[in-house]
Amino acid sequence: MGRGEGQLKRPRLDLATPGLLGLPLAWLAAFFIVPIAIVGAYSVDALSIVPGKHPLTLDGWRDLLHGSVYLGLFWKSMKMSLVVSGVVVVLAYPLAYFLAFSGTKRKYVLLLILIAPFLTSYLLRVLAWKVILGSQGVVNTFLVWIGLRSPDDPISALLYSRFAVMLVLAYIWLPFVALPIFVSLESLDTRLLEAASDLGATRWQAFLRITLPLSLPGIVAAFLFIFIPTVGEFVTPSLVGGTSGYMYGNQISDLFGTGFPDWRTGSVLALFLLAVVVPLTVVFARVSRTERVAH
Amino acid sequence: MDAALSPNGRRLLRVLFFAVVVFLYAPIAILLLFSFNDSVLPTFPLSGFTLTWYRQFVHDSELRGALETSALVAVLSSVGAVLLGTLASVALARRRFRGRAAVSAVLLSPLVIPYVVFGIALLLLFHTFGVQRSVATVVIGHIVISLPYTILVLVPRLQQIDVELEEAAYDLGAGPFSTFRLVVLPLILPAIFSAFLIALTTSFDEYAVASFVVGTRITFPIYLYGALRFPSRLPEVIAVAVVVITVSLLVVIGAEVGRRRVERRLGVIDPV
Repeated sequence: MGRGEGQLKRPRLDLATPGLLGLPLAWLAAFFIVPIAIVGAYSVDALSIVPGKHPLTLDGWRDLLHGSVYLGLFWKSMKMSLVVSGVVVVLAYPLAYFLAFSGTKRKYVLLLILIAPFLTSYLLRVLAWKVILGSQGVVNTFLVWIGLRSPDDPISALLYSRFAVMLVLAYIWLPFVALPIFVSLESLDTRLLEAASDLGATRWQAFLRITLPLSLPGIVAAFLFIFIPTVGEFVTPSLVGGTSGYMYGNQISDLFGTGFPDWRTGSVLALFLLAVVVPLTVVFARVSRTERVAH
Repeated sequence: MDAALSPNGRRLLRVLFFAVVVFLYAPIAILLLFSFNDSVLPTFPLSGFTLTWYRQFVHDSELRGALETSALVAVLSSVGAVLLGTLASVALARRRFRGRAAVSAVLLSPLVIPYVVFGIALLLLFHTFGVQRSVATVVIGHIVISLPYTILVLVPRLQQIDVELEEAAYDLGAGPFSTFRLVVLPLILPAIFSAFLIALTTSFDEYAVASFVVGTRITFPIYLYGALRFPSRLPEVIAVAVVVITVSLLVVIGAEVGRRRVERRLGVIDPV
């Protein structure tokens, strides 16, 4: 364990470091950083799909920040995403805890069983829920079949609703989220818990004062792993959300669609999303790291 | 006494765990059930066994084309991501240089971008430079997405390998390339395989970014998304779903089992 912590003592290849990093960094510069800069250019009309010369303008930004429908949609998506991330982390924690501490010999097999659905197709798992929740779907026809509901009165709110979007997103991310929590619990020194118990702490006290704080980095990582993709989500809402499940990501995607393209507004919305997500990620990541250093 | 779990707590968590597993697999099982159901609508009660839907999709040339395109995109982008990821990982794990934290932040930054933002950014890039959207533009996007995952797999693996092995190779006169090829590469091969597989599955399943940069040759997720909007094609799509999900489950589980076995034989992980 930890044999190779350090770098080579004699870094004969120091000159080669640019050679190693050059290609990956150039790739990201060309196809990741420059594209985002171009989004920035579109957001202020430095570039535009409308031909001709344009003066630079902050109109797109002003429109967004002054009580447009877009801000409302943004908060709605934030709320949906926060609820999904929170619920999923709370649900995944006991699963990871079970795997890490139940002493079962097959914990890696069980972990794999838990994670495997995540590695299968995303769209097809959304499809499964479409089949299940539709008004002519599995749940409704099953309820009719066993006589719990009349055929003229299906539960229509199941599909094409905010609830459907949140349920499907939770379903999709749940398997994956147990992983970072499991990793942080696995590395926990169980002697700490034994010491706490020797000193008279109950299991709950030991959990609240030792296990929970020490697994915080895993919890934060898990939360971010769901929050980042779900807050900008547009695929699931477009398949199971209907109008009430429409999210901020759908708006961005639609502004670049074929219907009524408005690349300036779309660019502003995209950068605004980035401007919220990235600092949040940095702050959270830093909090969880200081947490790790402190112990 | 177990300081982490009481016997009752363990029982409770076990019940919860298996309840969640049922919740995760039930929708997949329902797809399986309806893929053999002799009705255009997936409704209860079931109306008899059929293989029509499987037969139908085997003969669907548009679907086959989409699967082939996706396979091509997945292989090309995984090879690209693993190559770039290996270069970057060797630098991050083995070299001391200034700005290491910043470099690693840049290399991992695609992890924190919502895909809709990256998708439109790539669209604008290709539009600005007048690049036709095609298979290549999707490959470019998928390499960016997969690169951080390959680094996350490879760096920890490289850090586990004893640096003295490499120093010994240098002392015996091996150059940097032979050292890498003869000492490091064989030891990280299982991790490279894992990284390749992660990139492969990521790309094969990627819809959001591809939807903005795909050309006339559509990938499998793009095809699926289109098919999902036509109820009459639903049963066929369900049959495809069952096949794809089964194959990917088998590949993932097989690869994981294989990797553990190989790494144990190489003695590079502690037997668990």
